[in-house]
Amino acid sequence: MIRLAVPLAGASAFFLVSLITVRLLRPADPKRFFLGYGSALLAVAAYVYVQLWPLETIDAAAGLTACLLLQALICLTMWNAFYSLLWGFSGGLMHDLYNHAALRDIDRLVRSYQGTGGFDRILARRLPNLAAGGFIELQGQTLRLPWKGRVIAWGTLAAFKAFSLGMGGGVK
Amino acid sequence: MLTSLAIVVIASVACQVLLVAALSAWRRAGNVYRTIVVVCFITVPLAWFADRLLLGQVLDRDTRLFFMLIHLALGGFFFHFMTLPDRSVTLRILVELLVAPGQALTAKELGRRYGVKTMITSRLEQLSAGRFLAIDGSGRIELTAKGAWFGRFVTAGRKLFRIASAN
Repeated sequence: MIRLAVPLAGASAFFLVSLITVRLLRPADPKRFFLGYGSALLAVAAYVYVQLWPLETIDAAAGLTACLLLQALICLTMWNAFYSLLWGFSGGLMHDLYNHAALRDIDRLVRSYQGTGGFDRILARRLPNLAAGGFIELQGQTLRLPWKGRVIAWGTLAAFKAFSLGMGGGVK
Repeated sequence: MLTSLAIVVIASVACQVLLVAALSAWRRAGNVYRTIVVVCFITVPLAWFADRLLLGQVLDRDTRLFFMLIHLALGGFFFHFMTLPDRSVTLRILVELLVAPGQALTAKELGRRYGVKTMITSRLEQLSAGRFLAIDGSGRIELTAKGAWFGRFVTAGRKLFRIASAN
């Protein structure tokens, strides 16, 4: 079980380099860095593990699989915490409610999210990214779904049905 | 060796996904995340016996412990995966476009189907159910101690990572 030190070291390194990157470089799209660091550290972990425990038995192979999965899971949890809690919708709401006492009223809170143009605050942040990624096409005020967006939407719809999620999107 | 591992991994994923799908269909109002955690931990003994059940051989204690860790880690990935369709505003927007006539909507039409008020009210209800806040009859919101802690955490996290604005 000493082998579990490998993913723990990898995950700690991931946290440190991500923190340093976000604080010092302040990249516009941190997920590219996270993906790069995560992948590189998995490769390093695999290399270190194989040097210490050569893959000659099923025990060593199972250990390597467990270590890499564990390291990837811890990194993904950190990544998800960053995006879901700090950038996500619920986290954003709690941030606004905590820091702005005037918004602690449903109507005022809703109004603060309604934009002055065609798109509200929630859509205004997401639609340009979706359009830039080729997942939607923005034609003035009209949104269309190209093939790339359709594939993702079909997959999401399949998950809604398979796991009885209703229509998802955080709405119960 | 690789085939044996692949069998264990595939069986672990299939077992958890099928059980969660079945339980979610049976208890539609249930919390899918709780279901995933329960299924993952309840089925972990199967991973301990995977050597006999799936591979037809007896392996040593460490290998079986690693099988259990693999099973738990895959359950963790499944948990993360579920947040995508269940919580993501972005994916819901794509699905609304998919089911719309002609797969196109104006911003106004999208707002009618999945608008700010619906999103905020639903999230507030969930945050209230999770005891992060309380809402009185006039719509006034009060943060609980847990909610204030979460608000502090997000504020500190945003400062730490220098996130100027989000949502």
